[in-house]
Amino acid sequence: MKLALFIPCYVKELYPNVVKSTILLLDRLGYKVDIPKSQTCCGQAFVNSGQSTNLAKRMDNIFHEYDEVIGIGSSCVSFTKSQGYSIANKIYELTDFLYQKGHRNLATNYPKKIAFHHSCHSIRHLALKTPSELNIPFYDKVKDLLGVEIMQASKDECCGFGGVYSLKEGFLSYVMGRSKLDDLLLSNPDVISGVDMSCLMHLQSIAQKDNDNIQFKHISEIILESLDETLQVS
Amino acid sequence: MKHYKLASEFYKQKGQKHNESLWAIRQKRDKAIKEVDEWEELRQKASDIKDNVINNLQKYIDEFIENAKNNNIEVHFAKTDKDHNKIVYSYLKNAKKVVKSKSMLTEECGLNEYLYTKGIEVIDTDLGERIVQLRGEKPSHIVLPAIHTTKEDVAEILNETNTDPTYLTHKMREILRGEFLSADAGISGANFLVANKGYAVVCTNEGNADLGASVPPLHIISVGVDKIVPNMQDLGVFLRMLARNATGQKITTYTSIFGKSEKKRVIILVDNGRLDRINSEFRDTLKCIRCSACLTTCPVFRRGGGHSYRYIIPGPIGSLLAPLKDKEEYKDLPFACTLCNSCEMVCPVKIPFSKQLINMRKYVTKPNPISKVAENILNNPSYYKLFSKILHLTPQWIFDAIPNEWSKYKSIPRIPR
Repeated sequence: MKLALFIPCYVKELYPNVVKSTILLLDRLGYKVDIPKSQTCCGQAFVNSGQSTNLAKRMDNIFHEYDEVIGIGSSCVSFTKSQGYSIANKIYELTDFLYQKGHRNLATNYPKKIAFHHSCHSIRHLALKTPSELNIPFYDKVKDLLGVEIMQASKDECCGFGGVYSLKEGFLSYVMGRSKLDDLLLSNPDVISGVDMSCLMHLQSIAQKDNDNIQFKHISEIILESLDETLQVS
Repeated sequence: MKHYKLASEFYKQKGQKHNESLWAIRQKRDKAIKEVDEWEELRQKASDIKDNVINNLQKYIDEFIENAKNNNIEVHFAKTDKDHNKIVYSYLKNAKKVVKSKSMLTEECGLNEYLYTKGIEVIDTDLGERIVQLRGEKPSHIVLPAIHTTKEDVAEILNETNTDPTYLTHKMREILRGEFLSADAGISGANFLVANKGYAVVCTNEGNADLGASVPPLHIISVGVDKIVPNMQDLGVFLRMLARNATGQKITTYTSIFGKSEKKRVIILVDNGRLDRINSEFRDTLKCIRCSACLTTCPVFRRGGGHSYRYIIPGPIGSLLAPLKDKEEYKDLPFACTLCNSCEMVCPVKIPFSKQLINMRKYVTKPNPISKVAENILNNPSYYKLFSKILHLTPQWIFDAIPNEWSKYKSIPRIPR
């Protein structure tokens, strides 16, 4: 089975720590992944701005030789799916990938209290958790994967980031982010986590501006730290 | 972004309360749909029925017209909004006053304004519609037209000091009764038309449409051709979903089926661009049954209010319909959206909102040369590497100093070194 890691451009540029923890985590769990050097951007920012782009072809060319592609973050992954890229049926968001492979309870030894932000793309596009809008049986793949109690916002509504939206309607984007942050902070967590660094970037930028003292970590960092903890304990 | 300006102003005045009221309705809706075990199957069924109707629309229109005529109903087909208004007026040559119950279609056609120019008084009789009419406004929500107002606002237009909602409702009822009795005609919309029976189906909570349909000597129904369903079984699918999805009620208080009667009744089937849409990339918008759930759930709508969309149908569905009427005027609407996909999840007929909204963004946007440059960089790994290098060498203060919508309200992310 040939695996590749898709690193969204903004994650590569802004969150090298998340790239690192994802690579280490996959390695720790025994997955050998290629990281194609020539990958750049999936094209989401273009299409969501109403511009045409040929970056789809590029993604397809780079990843077509692999059996499965793992992407960091549900936003870009679900974009390639909804736009019908040729890799649509073999690309998975990291959490989803690990869940499909049967991993469970990976963060049971995580020592801190986690508030988890389920992003719209993970709930309402990739179906990692039951969206509140649907009448289907309850499930939460992230919770099962982590195996630890996670605090969640009372509403599974959007955090207000929305990519292009945050630059078009900054005030309303802030208002939504602020209420999401308040909702998450209610449980008095030590750290806020999620699968999408884009939402976390938005929430963190609000927390910084408003002087909320809270840490943000990607889910791969949480799992990796927890596995390290397990090693130390045993 | 006209939407941004209006929505921000609205949020500062009334947004928080508006958000809470609509979220409460969303929760009522969630509870109501969870009482129906087969809800998700119903959505698929409803979507399939609509696909079939759209694919065979002309056939169903012909079938409906024939059956409605057999029911002693006069039927007209109006190609445009102007044609519609003229047909309505042809029945009202000697009329002084008409009572109207809720109809988004007559709003779309600008019927009220047209009839005023002919010297005919139009009284909206739906409570919410009457409130906005007296305030000189347009509805801000399809099903809850006055959701942007407060009980104090209503007391003010009625010159009352008592702001008790029940009192105000009774006051309005008293006033409206007289209007029904003295009107020359009643005009209503219709939620559904049943093709094989020639019936028009009207769903309301206040009974005003029924009074308007039965008290005055003439009843005119204005309805879009997209409202046709093939038969009564299919109607049942929609009736089980409409009220639950809109307000969390099991069914609307009144579901009136207008068929054969001695009463003078006219139905005007309106096209106004709908038939052209069948072969366009926005075909799926024709499936809409105007339940309004996409407005109620939308996080942007809840905070920014319906008037910020400036179109008679606001919210996610309005952001798809408005630019089709006027691309330049409404080009901001498909961007007044975070692509959170909640609208798509609540939609009873499974309109693929996210995809359609993205397509609509392209439809309203001109190609941007800067975007082409960026695309070229990203298509060439060595250019991209250079870009990345420059990004990481640029001092942070430069990013912090560029004024934009992000930096006004949030910190700029640190660029790692």
